[in-house]
Amino acid sequence: MPFVSIEFALFVTAALILYYLIPKRFRWIVLLAASYVFYAISDVQNLFYIVFTTLTVYASAAFMENRQKRSNEYLSANRERLSKDEKKAYKASVKNKQKLILWLCVILNFGILVLVKYFNPCLTAAQNFAIAYFNMFRLNMFHNSDFIPFKNFIMPLGISFYTFQSIGYLIDIYYGKYEREHNLFRFALYVSFFPQIIQGPISRFGDLSKELYTPASFDFNNIRSGFYRVMWGLFKKLIVADRLGGYISATMAMKENYKGIYILLALFFYSMQLYGDFSGGIDVAVGVAEMFGIRLFENFERPFFSKSITEYWQRWHITLGTWFKDYIFYPLSVNRSMIKLGKTVREKGMPTLGKRIPIYLPMLAVWIVTGMWHGSTGKYVVWGLCNFVFIVLGTEFEPVSKKIIASLNLSEGSFPVRAYRVVKTFLLMSFLRIFDISHDTIAAFTGVKYAFLEWGSFSWEKVYKDLLLPKEDLIVVMIAVAVMFVFSLIQRKGSVRARIFNLPVPVQWIILSALIVAVSVFGYYGMGYDAASFIYGNI
Amino acid sequence: MNKDRIIEILMEVHPEVDYETENGLIDKRIFDSFDVVTVVGELMDEFDIEITAEHMIPENFNSAEAIAELVEQLEDE
Repeated sequence: MPFVSIEFALFVTAALILYYLIPKRFRWIVLLAASYVFYAISDVQNLFYIVFTTLTVYASAAFMENRQKRSNEYLSANRERLSKDEKKAYKASVKNKQKLILWLCVILNFGILVLVKYFNPCLTAAQNFAIAYFNMFRLNMFHNSDFIPFKNFIMPLGISFYTFQSIGYLIDIYYGKYEREHNLFRFALYVSFFPQIIQGPISRFGDLSKELYTPASFDFNNIRSGFYRVMWGLFKKLIVADRLGGYISATMAMKENYKGIYILLALFFYSMQLYGDFSGGIDVAVGVAEMFGIRLFENFERPFFSKSITEYWQRWHITLGTWFKDYIFYPLSVNRSMIKLGKTVREKGMPTLGKRIPIYLPMLAVWIVTGMWHGSTGKYVVWGLCNFVFIVLGTEFEPVSKKIIASLNLSEGSFPVRAYRVVKTFLLMSFLRIFDISHDTIAAFTGVKYAFLEWGSFSWEKVYKDLLLPKEDLIVVMIAVAVMFVFSLIQRKGSVRARIFNLPVPVQWIILSALIVAVSVFGYYGMGYDAASFIYGNI
Repeated sequence: MNKDRIIEILMEVHPEVDYETENGLIDKRIFDSFDVVTVVGELMDEFDIEITAEHMIPENFNSAEAIAELVEQLEDE
């Protein structure tokens, strides 16, 4: 069921009515039922996958808890008898058993994710290779390009998001961060909560469970505030993001004819499109949850105002970034072998390199995985590696950059320096998006080359007529982007909605009406339009 | 005793800091991630403790006092 559809609006309305009509202690059951109905309507064939993840993670957490309880009982019963070293050895053996279960569950669930995500691209690559090989030797054994008799997998809805969220939960249970959820059905709700299943945010159990299991009383402010947030998300998605897709696809498909500024414009537009699409989708998710009185973690914090690439990634898709930091980066970084490697290099007379190894190697791993997470083809890994290289260069050249700034008699906090850093970060991050909008890595590098050629041949008329972005659409997009920019500036000083709700009621109504009218009139509902296809919904 | 040894370890990374009074090593960005991981490695070797990802939060590394508390807690485990 698409997020942007009448069906979804009716579905949410029905769920809200039911949710607030029944007693508080049963409300989570309505959410669970709504989540499974939502999932089944969207993807009934793949219900198996989400149930599998729910059951395996639940059972693994139960095993860990039972093992820990038995261990605590044993230790307290033998407190006097066991020496400190014996206790330590016993605890280590218990932890090893828990670790084994953790790894089994991680491998099972990530194995499924990798299978459904990479099987088809790998199969296609293998087929193409085999056909090329046989053709080379003139062995025309296969006339059918789909000759390998395997069933293609269809990516289950939201599998990347709920797998990450569930495995994060299990790792936290392993660390003893909080007590596991004992009720299987309540846990199933944590995994499947419908507003966030398509594209996140990836919530932590400690945050989301409190919201899901302790329902708030009905408060009209939640409905109002959530509705504003949903409309703002639709504004970004329908007015900005969906209007720009045509120009980007057309330009990149015909990049031999449209070089230079056309490509740079496509990169700028893609940054707007992706931000509008993804943050707009998150706004809808957060807004819908808010109507149920449930606060989700924010996934964006005005990323285009970042002063470095590191900061940008701390403000874009925040919940994925913190997931990688907590469950991949730090475990690798403080791993004994990694620390030992760094120390050995330091002691061999390379202190600077030795210090960097336990940071840069895990970071490299994170960026390879981030690339793979974003897509199943090689270009995404190259994109991840480019991000890694830019971050390393940024970190290593920071002292030089500071010296240059000081030599110009400017301070870090001064406007020219901040503006320079923000613009530089935006341009670099937009430029790296060439991988997203190109067919493959080679096409991306060709795109980079073309971006710097034939600047003189640019004509707006061609943009309007040949590249599927009529003048009227461009004007609407630019006005909408300007509105988003102004709202972001206001947001730096606090919530925009809180400010709106402090205004006189008639003014509030005018703003809401303007938002609804803007979305209804200027939302992009062209031929073949499919609002369901959020870019991050395909991950 | 732990705290004295911890201050010695910290001094090897940033000798210019007054560790008796400073309580914003991370928050004030006196230590960057390279420094923190270097200190973690030294602590693990020196006190035979296991510092894992769950302990990598700013509050545990903001001061010599906080680090000493973390070490003490991990020694007891």
